[in-house]
Amino acid sequence: MSFDHIMSVTIGGLTVGMIYALIALGYTMVYGVLKFINFAHGEVFTVGGYVAAFTLLALGIDQNSPWTLVAGAVALALLAAVLVPMALGFVIERIAYRPLRGRSRIIPLLSAIGVSIVLQQLIIIIFGPKPVTIPTLAISSAAVSFFGVNIRVLALVIIAVSAALMIGLTYLVKSTRIGKAMRATSQDMEAAEMMGIDTNRTIAFTFLVGSALAGIGGLLVVMYYGSLKYDAGFLYGLKAFTSAVLGGIGNIPGAVVGAIVLGMTETYGVSVDLGFLAWFVVAGLALGLYVQMVKAPQRRLAHIADERRTAEYERSIMNVYRLAPYHGIKTLLAERTDALLSVSAAHGVRLMAGNVFLAVVAAVMFANASMRIDTRWQPVIAFAVLMVILMFRPSGILGEAVTEKV
Amino acid sequence: MSAILELQGVSMSFGGLRAVDSLSFTVGENEIVSIIGPNGSGKTTTFNLISGLYEPDSGDILLKDESVAGLRPDLVHDKGISRTFQSLRLFTNMSVLENVLVGMHSVTSAGTIASMLRLPSVRREEKAMYDKAQEILGMFPGRFSGPRQHQPAYSLSYANRRRLEIARALASDPVLLLLDEPVAGMNPAESHEVMEQIKMLRDTGYTILMIEHDMHVVEGVSDRVIAMDHGVKIAEGTYDRVANDPQVVEAYLGKRAANATA
Repeated sequence: MSFDHIMSVTIGGLTVGMIYALIALGYTMVYGVLKFINFAHGEVFTVGGYVAAFTLLALGIDQNSPWTLVAGAVALALLAAVLVPMALGFVIERIAYRPLRGRSRIIPLLSAIGVSIVLQQLIIIIFGPKPVTIPTLAISSAAVSFFGVNIRVLALVIIAVSAALMIGLTYLVKSTRIGKAMRATSQDMEAAEMMGIDTNRTIAFTFLVGSALAGIGGLLVVMYYGSLKYDAGFLYGLKAFTSAVLGGIGNIPGAVVGAIVLGMTETYGVSVDLGFLAWFVVAGLALGLYVQMVKAPQRRLAHIADERRTAEYERSIMNVYRLAPYHGIKTLLAERTDALLSVSAAHGVRLMAGNVFLAVVAAVMFANASMRIDTRWQPVIAFAVLMVILMFRPSGILGEAVTEKV
Repeated sequence: MSAILELQGVSMSFGGLRAVDSLSFTVGENEIVSIIGPNGSGKTTTFNLISGLYEPDSGDILLKDESVAGLRPDLVHDKGISRTFQSLRLFTNMSVLENVLVGMHSVTSAGTIASMLRLPSVRREEKAMYDKAQEILGMFPGRFSGPRQHQPAYSLSYANRRRLEIARALASDPVLLLLDEPVAGMNPAESHEVMEQIKMLRDTGYTILMIEHDMHVVEGVSDRVIAMDHGVKIAEGTYDRVANDPQVVEAYLGKRAANATA
């Protein structure tokens, strides 16, 4: 396990994560405004990639083209990858979602799945079932040396472009007139209308922005991997949607964080030695112990009424927390039937079981430090990590952007 | 006195229920008109009709002699009708200041691209909006000062939320302000304060149509009172006349009470 390897794996994971993030933003923005999952969003991404690829192919550039020509072609491809998905997103919203708005939630959901299937078939009909492949370009294969590690320039471009777009989007939503209209619409559509906001326009705008980001994602994927298949949008869409949920659905920074966590997990899980991964388990265990031993008792102490607050009482509470598993086992062995005690005892035992499990996992990983997990397990690892995170934080890493209705 | 708002035989049914039945009235410029009536008498439905949430089955609604009946709510707001809600509907996750700024949506025009580029025109507009918001929030002395403006609306007390709804409605300089139970749930001191503020709004030139249950407030601020029952206007006039109208007493207290006062 060299520094070079870790470095290139990290950059790889970040790149994948940023692409998921670009797509995830579309899911999360639409969810924020309409409380509805736009399952056709993955196909909008694919269309963006296809349109970009066919623009590059039509312009006939290859490895030997002068860089000015390549730059112009990429700029045109970018334009196509933004405009076509935007138009597509707009049309989808107009004909498949808007007429169904206000119906029971399952109806637009079905419509979205239908649109997704239709789009996939349309891609096959228009572009053919074979994956589209673009010629290798100098810009795609260029690499720079970074602390002695060779890194593809394109990976850095993807990370930089995505980060810039996300900052721009955050500014858009936070500080502009249309951004305020979006937030108002997402909180209370009727009230927003009665404050003079054209909600139909605001929703259409949300689809335009989300689709443009997905289109740019499509272009970047085509440039990075050199090819794209008609059904790519399904898996990318699913992963992006997962990222949005992982970070907290409806939450824009959450989507980015969730996507990076997912991208990193996928890449790290199968690309580094168990001995290195074990440290993440150790970190998780440390975090868990910190929450159990410090955070939880502090939260409990904050609730004590002032007149009951004595140093001795506080210490006894801390002891109950610190020794919860010990008390738990003692209580279970003594077969106490006291309801409250048995609940806290069961909780203590569960916590300890969790801690022991993590410790054993870490120990096994350290024992097989030089082993690496087979690539075929990649989705399983990602899924397991996802489950663990959502088990402890059901609303996602940064929390859902839920509207508090009074 | 020219009419700002005029309802001409407006009717609206939900299924078989006639929520509003051939309702006609006018609100003159710089006037405060209150609508009273027992629960379910069609007051809020009338507000929803005026603000464009519902389209009347028949009849017409004129704002300064121009029909607004059946217009989309955002377009009605553009025409100059702004409102508050009986059950508060602030944008609770947005800050106090942002709530007022959202209220200015129809009187601002900054384009998305211009905003992203922070063109001078956008900055000028933002500055003007900010100053205007300060002026409006300043009408509620001590309630929304300094750092409080940047707190989310959900952190406000109930009475302050009501005040903020009024501030948000004022942000667009409305021709007509609709207040749906502005003092509901307030204690006597608070409702007295809001009452004074409503009077002050009239003095600064606003025209107000208000739904209110608190008779003390209705008596204190109204130039005219309209009483409704079962979707029908049953009385109209000064507070004293309406409050002593046998039909109004009957609607509130039943037939026997009405006979006793008669």
